[in-house]
Amino acid sequence: MNGPYGDLWTRSVARLIKTEKEVEGRYEDVWLVVEEDALDQWPAGPGEIVGQPTPRITGPQRARGEARYTADVQLPGMLHTAVLRSPHAYARAKSIDFTRALAAPGVRAAIGPDDLDVLVDEAGYPGVAVAAVAADTFDAARDAVALIDVDWEVLEPVLDPDEAVGRKQLLIEPRKYERGDVERGFAEADAVVEAEFRTQTVLHNSMETHQTVCEWQGDRLDVYISTQFIWGVRDEVAEQLGLPPDKVRVVCEFMGGGFGSKNGAGDHTFIAAELARRTGRPVRCALTRREENQASGNRNATIQRLKAGARSDGTLVALSGKFVNAVGWSGWTATTEGPMQMLYACDNVQTVTYGAKINTPPMRAFRAPGFVEGTFGLECLLDELAAKLDLDPLEVRRLNYSHADDDRPYSSKRLMECYKRAEPHWERRHEVRARSEGAWKRGVGLASQVWYGGGGPPSYAWVRLGADGRATVITAMQDIGTGTATAMTQIAAEELGLPLDSVDFVLGDSARGPYASISAGSSTTPSMGPAVRAAAADAGRQILEIAAQRYDKEQRVLSLKNGHVVSSDGGSWAVAEVVGLLEDAQILGKGARGPNPAGMQVLTFGVQVVEVSVDTETGEVRVDRVAAIHDVGRVINPLGASSQVEGGIIQGIGHTLSEERLLDPQTGTILTQSLDAYRLPTIADVPPEIVTDLLDIPDEHLTNLGSKGLGEPPIVPIAAAIANAIRDATGADVRSLPISREEMLRALREARQRAGEKVAAPAS
Amino acid sequence: MELVVNGGSYSLETPVGRSLAETLRDVLGLTGTKIGCNEGHCGACTVLVDGVPTLSCITLVHTVEGRDVTTIEGLRDHPLVDSFVRSDALQCGFCTPGQIVSAAALVEANPEPSREQIRHQMAGNLCRCGAYPKIEEAIVACARQTKLAAVAEEAPDA
Amino acid sequence: MQLQHPESAEAAAAALGNGSVALAGGTELVPLIRDGLVRADTLVAIRDVVPRGIDGTRIGAGTTLAELEVDPKIPQALREACSLAASPQLRSMGTVGGNLLQATRCWYWRLNFPCYLHGGDRCHARQGEHREHAIFGNERCASAHPSDIAATLLALGATVRTTRRELTVAHLYRLPTDDNRDVTTIEPDELILELDVPRPEASTYLKAMDRRRFSFAVVGVAAARFGDGVRLALAGVAPIPWALGSPDELEEATPLPGTAYKVEIARTLVRRAVESVS
Repeated sequence: MNGPYGDLWTRSVARLIKTEKEVEGRYEDVWLVVEEDALDQWPAGPGEIVGQPTPRITGPQRARGEARYTADVQLPGMLHTAVLRSPHAYARAKSIDFTRALAAPGVRAAIGPDDLDVLVDEAGYPGVAVAAVAADTFDAARDAVALIDVDWEVLEPVLDPDEAVGRKQLLIEPRKYERGDVERGFAEADAVVEAEFRTQTVLHNSMETHQTVCEWQGDRLDVYISTQFIWGVRDEVAEQLGLPPDKVRVVCEFMGGGFGSKNGAGDHTFIAAELARRTGRPVRCALTRREENQASGNRNATIQRLKAGARSDGTLVALSGKFVNAVGWSGWTATTEGPMQMLYACDNVQTVTYGAKINTPPMRAFRAPGFVEGTFGLECLLDELAAKLDLDPLEVRRLNYSHADDDRPYSSKRLMECYKRAEPHWERRHEVRARSEGAWKRGVGLASQVWYGGGGPPSYAWVRLGADGRATVITAMQDIGTGTATAMTQIAAEELGLPLDSVDFVLGDSARGPYASISAGSSTTPSMGPAVRAAAADAGRQILEIAAQRYDKEQRVLSLKNGHVVSSDGGSWAVAEVVGLLEDAQILGKGARGPNPAGMQVLTFGVQVVEVSVDTETGEVRVDRVAAIHDVGRVINPLGASSQVEGGIIQGIGHTLSEERLLDPQTGTILTQSLDAYRLPTIADVPPEIVTDLLDIPDEHLTNLGSKGLGEPPIVPIAAAIANAIRDATGADVRSLPISREEMLRALREARQRAGEKVAAPAS
Repeated sequence: MELVVNGGSYSLETPVGRSLAETLRDVLGLTGTKIGCNEGHCGACTVLVDGVPTLSCITLVHTVEGRDVTTIEGLRDHPLVDSFVRSDALQCGFCTPGQIVSAAALVEANPEPSREQIRHQMAGNLCRCGAYPKIEEAIVACARQTKLAAVAEEAPDA
Repeated sequence: MQLQHPESAEAAAAALGNGSVALAGGTELVPLIRDGLVRADTLVAIRDVVPRGIDGTRIGAGTTLAELEVDPKIPQALREACSLAASPQLRSMGTVGGNLLQATRCWYWRLNFPCYLHGGDRCHARQGEHREHAIFGNERCASAHPSDIAATLLALGATVRTTRRELTVAHLYRLPTDDNRDVTTIEPDELILELDVPRPEASTYLKAMDRRRFSFAVVGVAAARFGDGVRLALAGVAPIPWALGSPDELEEATPLPGTAYKVEIARTLVRRAVESVS
């Protein structure tokens, strides 16, 4: 199906097939019409355009402030929305009186729980939307919201996830997994380590807050939204409003970041749509930054009680974990247990995961949900085990390498190669430690990662070519800032043999292109890329058909290169000349994403080696160097790819060292509502050296590109690598994130006490 | 009141209390300046007032009457724009106008900033995508370029 | 809301009070008004009437932190405190006078909980989330004073001249009490005009933060040596900038369970600051 076909001229055939789709570790069976186009992958290594560092094609627009984000959409007569949100973590609104609000100046409409499903009168978390007002200005709307009279019955919130588990206040049945026999495994172990790890609640805080502008055009609804999934929003809105999907148009040309928080339509979209319907005017509903810090999703906190057993040579014989995800009032239970199950060859593994239902804002997917948290616990535990056995942590990783999974073979796995490339970075640990001075101790740590990245169907693209020889790739996808528009343009240009600046790219409007998949789960490039290539190949074939007729050649000797149709027996004609005959006629190429390799796991792997300095007297931690080695298949744009890696690392440093969403333990009120309290990394927090090493070897089983996604892999191992480097530098076992001054000082104190105990108690 | 933005003069009627950011975006249609937090914590709204990097979201528009306001629209041909694009110093791009405005003030005051100086002077512009390493490169490259151009200008004809 | 442009500092002071507040850089005031924490019907613009600039040991209250950051004539501790304060934009906008009068970052206060500092009778931080809060002077209110500059001026023994009087920086601040919750002694119609900052033999400001820049002090330590004596003052540890008679006074700290770690950090920074100026 995928693989080397000799004949490039296989016609595309529409077939209905049952295939598998994976998003962030969840596999589901789907029925698809798959127009499969069996193209050979390009040979490994950089091509003319694919594999070459390419600046963003939308870069100048964004840099000049000319890009129109949802925040910049201004429609004539547009109204502004303010939302009344529950000030209580758990409460019932016994009555809601809009009288005073409706009389306030500039107010055009107000809605409450009786008017819209997403507005609630039973508030299960602080910040949940209860009512909304549309007014001429945002200030007028906000002033009116203050005039909505609500009679609250305040209830006792449950805020502690362990307490929720104890009460069986859960969102799912505890998720259990077992392979082998952990009891026997631990019994056979020469060394066992057991520890509790905690990770904190982390907020996405994209620079553009969640927002939507809705405008009804007759019975059609235009939705301008900052989103990661144009087509998902379309379907969600259509379903909720009882409209045929094609009556909903979703537009997102530029958006200011999502990181998983903008996968769905969100309450604000339905609020805007309803207020627009009632007022007959366009309505914007935009979250303020404070609302963003309260009720727009989060990476949930976790408590991980882990145990690992190994033989004296470091071979793992048993792994077990109890994971409590502080999911919130609703939301899904991310696979914090995933790394423990997937990363290493261990015959005996047992996990149980609880999704605690508590009166806190619901989680939303955040850049490798579950795996960031779970990798922290697992990789720290493994290093503690290595320390106990006095073994080299890199050796322990290699020793426990999982070569094959019997159920599902890997489509490609090059983690061993990543470990090999990690060696020179790992070697530096001797000199790094030697540079410790006074209170500052220095050390090196590492951590591995596994994550998904195969993407999947459906996704479609069209390529349009006219008499001027320029191609336009037409999609209705979104670019969430990862540079996908550029990568897609590179792919089309490479396939068509055109220079990059002869190819234009359209995205962002569901009315102006075919279905495109979500930009989440590291799936954009592996999902859209093959569709774009297939569309370009289709257009390319048509160019060659024309050329064959025009220059009286056999199609099989013709190919596209450098903006020319080239014949293998000499002869070269500019594409513009070839298609110059077309006048108003156009070439239309069509492409679709084929299925994933049947029965295989498509995963990304990598390792990061981190150097830190720790001020052992003040608890300050500095990350001095990160080497990030990841296998993500073929790299389309090394420039954009390195930006993704750096971005993931920096976001990871934020959640490792300085970010934490805090609640008042009595009332459940969110305390870190502003960006002075919720501390994102600044440019001053960036490690002086970040080395990115992407293997850039195509996954031979995966699509016509061999590319996996790389948005998430870089953020997965960084927290553990930092914690492990801290242990190398100081002997301290960090057990919770963020590694605040308090946590660092605690761990250092504990390490000193242990060392003291060792000195005090002579070996018997 | 009279507002001078990017060298052009605007006559406005606007209530006291309105921010410069809102005025630029909603009244003058200059939406290049972005609002990230509206309370002075993120730097996305940075503009120059008499050449000084200023958070327009917490600046009351009436307090800049008679002063020169420069927004990203007034810097569209600044060499930093090209430098940012070539260095890939942006991802989603929402913070980018504010970054470039701050960087423009930085290189104006200090044509050859060290990396430490760059990190110090750019610390008020948050970027959630983490484009920081390349923002630093873009500023270094721009400084280098400006220096090379100046040297080229001064070079005597052969 | 109205904006007034008085002709002189005296006229400005006369216009203040009863819902009329002074506007300089606005970096503190504008957000406070927006959040309903300060009521202002009239803003009195003082930028152009309050002294600005450095003249010998005198610093105009309208001087921005960015201007102080780069001036070689002022004591090193003050330069360091300015350079580590806030963000470059905020330093360019904010005045030294305004910085002295900034309010706490305590989230309970900022979110308008009916706390002690707001006139209520309990400190929500005590039973609540208080990791950023005080280790001294925290019997009634556990908030922390965030100003690096205030602590530094306290250590330098600076004096303040207002439209009404001259006073030491120490006397500018007071702990909130049951009868009066103000943390400054400034009257509603009193304007800070200038500071007089003595020149020490050596001085330094060390600041522990949760990220490398743009972060309020976990603990800030200012040390200034005059002759043989070292004066010490701390930011981020009490509702007001906190002078230490000697490093030993740290042992008299009264931390909350969640602020005990600050004492450890303070000990180290005080020791290092003293070493640095000796």
